[in-house]
Amino acid sequence: MRFPRARRILAALLLCVLLFTTACQPKTPGRFDQVQQESTKQKTGLAVAKDATQGGEVNKFFPANQAGYERVYTQEKKGFAEAKLKKDGKELAMLAISDTKSTPTAAAKFKTSTKKIAGYPAVEVGKTQTAILVDNRYQVKILSRDPSFTASDREQWLQKFNLKGLAQLD
Amino acid sequence: MSKPIFELVDELPTKNLTISMLRSLDFVAPGEWQNVVGFVNTIKHVTGEEDEDLIQAIGERAIYLYNDRSQGYQRGMWLYQTVDSTDKMLGAAALANKVGEKIPLFGFFSNITPKADKAQTIDLCLKLVAELLAFCSINGIPGDSIGDFVASLGEYSGESLMRMVALVCVDGLIPLGPDFINNALLWLDRASPQELEQNSTFSKIQDAIPGQDSASKLGFIGESFSSVTGWMGHLVSSRNLTPKTVVQNLQSFMEFSDDKLDYLAAFIDVSTNYYEHTGTQTLARRLIERAVAEI
Repeated sequence: MRFPRARRILAALLLCVLLFTTACQPKTPGRFDQVQQESTKQKTGLAVAKDATQGGEVNKFFPANQAGYERVYTQEKKGFAEAKLKKDGKELAMLAISDTKSTPTAAAKFKTSTKKIAGYPAVEVGKTQTAILVDNRYQVKILSRDPSFTASDREQWLQKFNLKGLAQLD
Repeated sequence: MSKPIFELVDELPTKNLTISMLRSLDFVAPGEWQNVVGFVNTIKHVTGEEDEDLIQAIGERAIYLYNDRSQGYQRGMWLYQTVDSTDKMLGAAALANKVGEKIPLFGFFSNITPKADKAQTIDLCLKLVAELLAFCSINGIPGDSIGDFVASLGEYSGESLMRMVALVCVDGLIPLGPDFINNALLWLDRASPQELEQNSTFSKIQDAIPGQDSASKLGFIGESFSSVTGWMGHLVSSRNLTPKTVVQNLQSFMEFSDDKLDYLAAFIDVSTNYYEHTGTQTLARRLIERAVAEI
C-alpha cells in the first residue's frame, strides 16, 4: 500500500498528538477529591458540631420493643444514634435520630416540605427513606432495608418515637 | 496523611489469597459474606439507593465523618490494619500470579517459620481485643463496655461475621487445635506482662488497650477473651468445626498435607490480610449507614 506523503505525515502527526495527550494528561479529578480536600483542612470538628447532642441522650426516644419486633441499637455517637428494627430475625429497617446542628443542609430540606407526620415537617428521600424534623433540630429518619417495609410502614413507625420527649430536649 | 476512605474501599481486591481463603470458609456461614468493593458500589449496596446526586451526597457526608478524627473511624481502620500487617514476610504480590491454581504449600517451607503456640495464642487474643476496640471506635460504645460488645456479637453478620469465623478457624483451630479456647484461657491465667511485652503486635497496639501498664492491659485482654469464649464455643460446636473440616475446605485453593498445620497457619498469617480487608468493608458500611441517615 502506498500513501501520499502528506497523508503519511498527517498520520504520524496525529499519532504523536494522540500519544502525547493520553500519556501526559493529568489525572482527572475524581468525584470525591474536592470534598476530601475540604474535609481535611482541620483534623477534627468539621463533621460534627461541638455542641451537638450526645447519641446516648436520644436513645430513650426510640420506639420501645413491640410484640414481634426487635430493636437493636447499632451506633451511638455525638449527634447521632441508630438502631435496627428486626422481625423474626430479619432486618426490616434502620431507625435514626441525628442532630442537624452538624448538618444544616439536612435541616434545610424540610423548608420546602408540604407534608406533615405527627405534626412535624416530613420529606421522603430517595427510594427508601422518610424523615421528619423535630423542634427544628432533630432529624428522625427511617430507612427501609427490606422491600416489605414500605413508605407507609415508615410513616407509621415514625410516630412510635417519643417525639414530644425529643422536642423538649435542650 | 492517611489514605482517603474512598480510595481504601476502591482499592479492595476482588482476587487474591485473602479472598480465596474467605470464600473457602463460606461453609461456616453460608452466603453471609459478599466481597463488596468500591466506594460508590458499597453505597449502593448498603443503602439500596441509585440516584447519583443522592449517592454523591451520602459519599460526601461519609468522607467528612471519616476525616473528622474525633469520630473514631480512623482509629478503627488503624486497628484493623495494624493487627494484620505484622510479620508480613511473603508479600501478597509475590503470590499474585499463583491465584487461580492451587498453591502448593511445600514450596514455601523454607520461607516460613511456624509460630510457637504461645505466640499464636497471644496473636489470637490480640486480634479479638482489636475487634472489640475497633467496634467501639466505629460504633461509639465506650471502649470498656465489654457487655455491649458481647451482646452485639450476636448481631454480627456479613463481613463482620466472616472476620470472626476466619479468626476462629485460621487463628484458633488450625494452629492451636480443637481445644484452642481452653488453652488460651489457661495461658492468659498464667501469662506474665513481660511475655506480652515481647509480642510485636502488642507493642504496636498497646496504647489503644485500656490499662495503665502491661499488667492491667493483660487483665483487659483476659476479660475480653473470656467474655467471648461462650460465643466462640457455640460457633465451633454448632457448626461442628474441627481442624479437619476447616482443612478440607482450605484445600480447595491450597495443596498441603494434614500433618503440616502449623506451617499452614504460618503461611496464612503472612500471606493474607483478612482483618484489614473485611475490617475496611465493615467500617465503610457503618460510615455509610450513618451518612445516609444524617443527610
